[in-house]
Parts: sequence; structure tokens; C-alpha cells
Amino acid sequence: MKTMLRRYLAIMRHEVLTLWHDTGLRHIMLWASLLGLCLFLLVYRAQTITAIPTAVLDLDHSSTSRQLVEQIANTENLDLAASVNSFDDLKSLINAGRVIAGVVIPENYGRDLSLGHQTRILAIIDASNMIYATNASSAFLTISRTISAQAGISTLVASGVQFNDAQDAYQTVDFQEEPWFNPALNYAYFLVLALALNMWQQCCTLAACMTVAGETGRNSWLQIRATGISRWSFFSGKALVQLAAFFLMALPVFLLNFLVSKSPLQCGFPVMLLFTLTFALALQALGTMMSSLARNPVDASRLGMIIALPSFVLSGYTWPIEAMPHWLQSVVWVLPQTWFFQGFNYLAFKNPGWGFISRYFLALLIIAGICYGVAAIAVSQGNHGARGAES
Amino acid sequence: MEAVIKVSRLIQAKGRRLVLNGIDFQVMPGECFGVFGTRGAGKTSLLHILAGIDGFRSGEVTVLGCNVRNNEGFKASLGLVTQARSLFLDLTAHENLDFFAALKNAPRSRIDPVSRSLALEEYLDAPAGSLDAGLFQRLSLACALLNAPRVLIADELIKDIDLNSRQILLNALGNFLSGGGSCVWGFSDIGSCHHMNRVGWLEEGLLNALSPEQAAHEWEHRLLQVETTGSGRDEDHA
Repeated sequence: MKTMLRRYLAIMRHEVLTLWHDTGLRHIMLWASLLGLCLFLLVYRAQTITAIPTAVLDLDHSSTSRQLVEQIANTENLDLAASVNSFDDLKSLINAGRVIAGVVIPENYGRDLSLGHQTRILAIIDASNMIYATNASSAFLTISRTISAQAGISTLVASGVQFNDAQDAYQTVDFQEEPWFNPALNYAYFLVLALALNMWQQCCTLAACMTVAGETGRNSWLQIRATGISRWSFFSGKALVQLAAFFLMALPVFLLNFLVSKSPLQCGFPVMLLFTLTFALALQALGTMMSSLARNPVDASRLGMIIALPSFVLSGYTWPIEAMPHWLQSVVWVLPQTWFFQGFNYLAFKNPGWGFISRYFLALLIIAGICYGVAAIAVSQGNHGARGAES
Repeated sequence: MEAVIKVSRLIQAKGRRLVLNGIDFQVMPGECFGVFGTRGAGKTSLLHILAGIDGFRSGEVTVLGCNVRNNEGFKASLGLVTQARSLFLDLTAHENLDFFAALKNAPRSRIDPVSRSLALEEYLDAPAGSLDAGLFQRLSLACALLNAPRVLIADELIKDIDLNSRQILLNALGNFLSGGGSCVWGFSDIGSCHHMNRVGWLEEGLLNALSPEQAAHEWEHRLLQVETTGSGRDEDHA
């Protein structure tokens, strides 16, 4: 027992030294996620998109149309960047990227409005940038609601209805928006940590992909085989160190994000850390499995990249799983990344309780178990012999 | 006295090629048995089988009373020096010694005397990957001797290294053999055969046991044959 423990500790120490001596890997593991988080925090510092550059083409030149232009200028999300005299001018500004949105106020806008006739304002949005487009669209919707209500009230007042009665008539149905969990629709809360954790999981997966292939592909594997130490002991010792390293890598990212940047964390630190540890285990298992199936370290890296790179997009974090093709909806749940990023979102914003989130823990543990099982079979049956000069 | 290594009817193939075609030999305690062959003759394959690294097609191999197919007990008393650089290149010499001591369950106290016997004290903090061929081979032998093995498997122990390292390695090997250890030494330089008790000449999958003198004589004879006829045995290898 003492001998086994000594060997086990030596293997773990060896893995620590191997990780530490590999300067490139060490820097990537220590700094990549943290640097990523800092960069993403800077990128999303504004938290929401405001002051979308907007141009106005006022073909009416009435006091009513000037009022509308003022309203647009006062909207938080829009910035009146230019007033143009022709549609072609507006088009060239949008084409050149100098404005993202354009408003065309038609001739007779003021007259039609005062007569209670229907009038049509054209709102043009540069949809080549989806984030800008959805925000501009939302801002126009708000303005449109206000203007429509004002016009309706004015029409009723003109037909003899008291102002208060007219106002009440338009407020009969009050459609109130109430965004929960992220009331300010803060992009930083939603994206920054997830993007940093995506970098983290990619580093972890690629590192774990070397667990088996990284050893068996080296000549030192000959010595390991000659010592008679079991493969299980050897690889489990390595895996344990990697698991600890992966977890420790995530800690500063969480600390910076939740304590310094004050992002919301509804579930509390212990649950989030436990969930991250469980995910790190699943990632290590996934990497070990791919490593055991690969013919050499290069193949192992390729396999790791095939899984690690698209997994964040497939996880449904940025694009809902329900909007994916049906066959893909089932496939993405095979990946531990899907369970993690979905569960992470619930834990950070909602804290849905143990009864709900326990299945996410369970799924990650099952994935880890299956991957380690496959790896164990592959390692015991496969020909994991180091290359050695034949003479 | 019972043999420490018994090999009978050993057959090993690589793809369709029979590398070892039913070879038999035994190694006695305290004996240094050389396995001689040119490049590709199958020396490394044979040594890897004896070290329990690779499996084999058929036959029986017993090391220290253990059938290597199903009993790895002999590995506790085994030392291995490979032809390829098989230490951990990113670890220092001392880290390698420390790691191998733990893996082989050898006491840490063995590190100092073994390092001394191979004159490694000055290089313990150097990364193994940075050591020149002679120093690396000395470190390899030091790691192999940490567990005071009864059997040493060494592949090209002194090939292409400096004279100082060569002498240090031969001295250490001599001490090991005089202490009752047995060695199977794969080599391709016939000049080394004088350091062995017997030489197994490995050619075309077959092993012919000779005395060192006979092996040297056979080599000379082959050389002379090539020089006089102007052709070798290429047709046999085709």
C-alpha cells in the first residue's frame, strides 16, 4: 500500500513537473483564460449598445417632423449623426458604414398626422451587423409605440374626446416589458465569462488530449512499461493532476469576474465551483478518451480541436438549441460543454435549485464515466507502444 | 544453477516479416550475453520482449522464473537501457532519478551512490534532454541500476559515445556483473563483443550462440569475403 502510494505520488509529481517544464503550455494554462476574460471585459465594457449612429432624411420639413427628429435624437440607443437631403445621400452613408440606421420622414407627414391619416415612416437598418441591427430595431419599436400613441390620442382629442379619456383609452392594454435575471440586458453579464470559460475549456480539452498519446508517443513509455507499473495507476495519477490544474486555472477567472467585475452569481460560489469541478472532470475524461483512441500526439491534438473549437457554439449558449435542426438538438447533449454552459447560465442568473441542476451534475458525471471507460478499454487493448529505433 | 532468462521457440513478426523465427537461448546468473546483429536484424525487438514491453507471436520467454506473457513480477528486478533516448527529456537528471526510484520502489538513498558510480554528480541539475550522448547513457544506466536489478537489458550501451563515458559505463557494468547480475546487451559494433561472455549472432530471424572470439572471427571472415568478392549477402536479404 505504501509502495503504491509512493508510486502514485511520484506520478503526480512527475505530471506537475511535466506541465511546469512545458513553458508554452504553462503560460497558456495560467494566462490564456485570464487574459481572455480581461480582453472580453474591455470589449464589452459598454455593457449595452447605445448611441447607434443614425441619419435622418426629413422630406416634410414641418414642425411635427422636426419634433420627431428631436425625439429620435433624444433616444438613448440612437445617436443622430447626420441629417441628409436625399435618399441617395442616406444610402451612401449606410454603405460607407458611417451610420447604421436611417429614418425617412415622408412628405406631408405633419399634415397627414393632424388629419388622422395613416402615414408611413421608413426605418432603414444596416443588418450586416446583427447586434447593431437588433438594438436599432428595438429602439425604433419604442419610438414607433410612443408616436402611435401620441397620434391616436391627438385624433381622439380632435374628435371631441377629453384628453384624459383619450389617454386612458390608449392605456387600456399596457404591455409592460420586464426583463428578469438580466434587467439591463447587459451583454457583459451574458457573454464575458462564458467566452473566457470557452477559452478555458478549449485549453483543458487540448491538454487532456495528451494524457495517453503524450506518454505513449514518447520513448520514455518504454521505461514506464519496463517498470511494471499498471497503466491504470499511471494514467489516473496524471489525470488527477490535470483535473486539479484545470480547476485551479478557472479559479482566478471566477474571482475576477464575480468579485471584481461584480457579475451576477445567483447560486453562490460553492455550487458554481463544484459544478466547474464536475465539468473539469468530464473534460479530462473526454480528452483522455480521445487521447487513448488517437494513434499519436498529433492525431490527439486534431481530435481535441475538432471537439473543443465548435463545442461552445453547439452548446446553445449563444444560439438556442431549440432553434437548431432536430437531429442536432439530440447530438449536442452528448458533449459535456453543452451541459456545462447551459447549467452555468442557470446557476449564474437563476439559481434554479438542486432538484433542477442535479441532472446537469449527473449528466457530466455519466459522460466522465463513459469516457474513462472507453479510454480504459482502448488503453488496455490498444497497441500503445512507443516508437523505438529498431536494430 | 538455474538460468535467469530462458527463451524457447520465440517467434515475432512485424507485419508479414518474421523478425524472430523460433530462437532459443538461456542467460545464466552473472553472465553478460550479447545480442549482435546489423541494423534491422531484430535486436531491439528481442530486447523489448525480454523487458516485457512488447508481446510476441509464439514461444516461451521466462525471466527470473516469470513467464513474461502473464507475470510481470520480474520487472521489480529489471533494469533497462534503451537505444532510443527513453528518459524524460524535460526533467532534470535528478528528477529522472527520483522519479525512477519511486516507480521502481527503490530507496531514495540509492540515488547518491548510483550517481557517484556513474560520475553524474555535476550534472544532476541539467535537463536530461540537454546531456550529450555519453552523459545521457550514463544517466540511463544509473536509472536502470537504481533498484539493484538482477537482470539488465541494455541496447547499444556504448555506441557512438565519448571514451570517458564508455569507460565509466563499462566499469559500472563490470561491478553489476561481478555482483551476480546478468545482462543482455544488444550491440552492432563487433568491437564490443570482448566485454561479453557469449554472443548471440542474430541474423534472418535466427540466433546462433558463439563465444566472443568466434563472433569476432566470423565478422572478420565476412568482411574478408565482401572485400574479395566485392559483394556481400545482399541477395540473402532481398
